[in-house]
Amino acid sequence: MDDTLDFSAPAMVEGIAHVVAVDGNLAWLEPEQTTSCGSCASSGACGAKGIGTTASRLEARRFSLENEAGLTVGETVVVGIRENALVKASLTAYAIPLTAALGCGALAQWADGRDIITMAAMVGGLALGLGLARLNAGRLSARGELAPRFLRRTNETATCHTITFNKKAGE
Amino acid sequence: MKAYILLMVSAALVNNVILARFLGLCSFMGVTTRIDTAVGMGMATTFVITVSSMADWAVETYLLQPFGLGYLRTVTFILVIAAAVQFTEMTVKKVSPPLFQMLGIYLPLITTNCAVLGVALLLVEGRMTFIGATLFAFASSIGYSLVMVIFAGLRERLALAEVPRLFAGPPIGFIVASLLALAFMGFSGMSTN
Repeated sequence: MDDTLDFSAPAMVEGIAHVVAVDGNLAWLEPEQTTSCGSCASSGACGAKGIGTTASRLEARRFSLENEAGLTVGETVVVGIRENALVKASLTAYAIPLTAALGCGALAQWADGRDIITMAAMVGGLALGLGLARLNAGRLSARGELAPRFLRRTNETATCHTITFNKKAGE
Repeated sequence: MKAYILLMVSAALVNNVILARFLGLCSFMGVTTRIDTAVGMGMATTFVITVSSMADWAVETYLLQPFGLGYLRTVTFILVIAAAVQFTEMTVKKVSPPLFQMLGIYLPLITTNCAVLGVALLLVEGRMTFIGATLFAFASSIGYSLVMVIFAGLRERLALAEVPRLFAGPPIGFIVASLLALAFMGFSGMSTN
C-alpha cells in the first residue's frame, strides 16, 4: 500500500482545464474533454448540428475562477472540487425533483387512483421539485460549495489519467 | 401497498438491472473508478430512467397501443430517451449553471445506456399501471445506482491493494463483479417474481 497518500487532506476531485481567456481578475477555463461523447468516430454525425460537437460542449461548460495565481491564456492547470460537493450537487439536481414527483404521484394515486391524474400530479411534483432544487442550488452556490478551485499548474500533455497516477505516486 | 413494495424490492435487488439482467455494463465498468463519480452517474441515471419511463408508459398507452404501432416501440422509446436526456440537461443548466458544470458530463453518456431502454421495454412487457411502472423504473434505477456505488467502493480498495500483474486492472474488476453478482443471487430466494 502506498504510504505517501495524505489522508488528512480534504478529498478533492481533480480535473484538467485550459485557460482560454483572462478578463480582469477573472480567468475563464474550459475543462478537458473526458467523455466519449464528442470524441467518438461518429461525433460528426451526432444529433443536431452543433449539439454533439466537442467544441460546443466545452464552450457550454466554460467556467471562471478568481485569477489570484496570475494565469495566462493557453496555460493548462489542475482544478478541483471537494468530493462531497459532487454528491451534494447530485442530490440537489436529481433527488429533490424526483422525490417531489414521486411524493405527489403517490398522494394522487392514494386520493384518486386514475392513471391520468397520477401522471398530472407527477409532472406537477417534478416542476415543484425543480423549483426547490433551484432554491437549494442558489444557497449552495452562494456559500461557494459548487465552485471549482485552482490547485496547481501542469504541463500541456497532462491528462486526467496522468494527474491521478502522479497523485497516487506522491508527486 | 404490499404489492408495490414487493415490486420495488424485486426490481432493485432480485432482478437487478446490472447483475441479473446484464444491462448498463458499459457504465458499470467505465464510471466506477471513484465513488463520487459513481454517485453522480447513478443519480443522473436514476432521474433519466424514471422520467423517461413515465414518458414511455404514456406514449405506449395513449399512442402506440391504440393505433397499433407496436412495431415502432423501440425506435419511439429511443427518441423519448434522447428527448428526456436533453430535457434533463437543459433543465439542470437553467436551474443552476454551476450544477450543470459539475454534472453535465454524465448526461450524454446516459443516452446510449442500454439500461434506460431495457427498463422501458420491461415495464411494457409487465403491463403495469402508471404508478406501478414508475415505481418499477425508480426501483430498477436505485438497484443500478446501488451496484455502481458498491462496485466503485470495491475498486477504490482494489486500487490500493497489491494485485498480481496478470490480474491488475480490468481482470480483477471482472472477478470482483462476478463475486458481487453471486452475492446478489442470494436475494433470489426473497421473491419468485
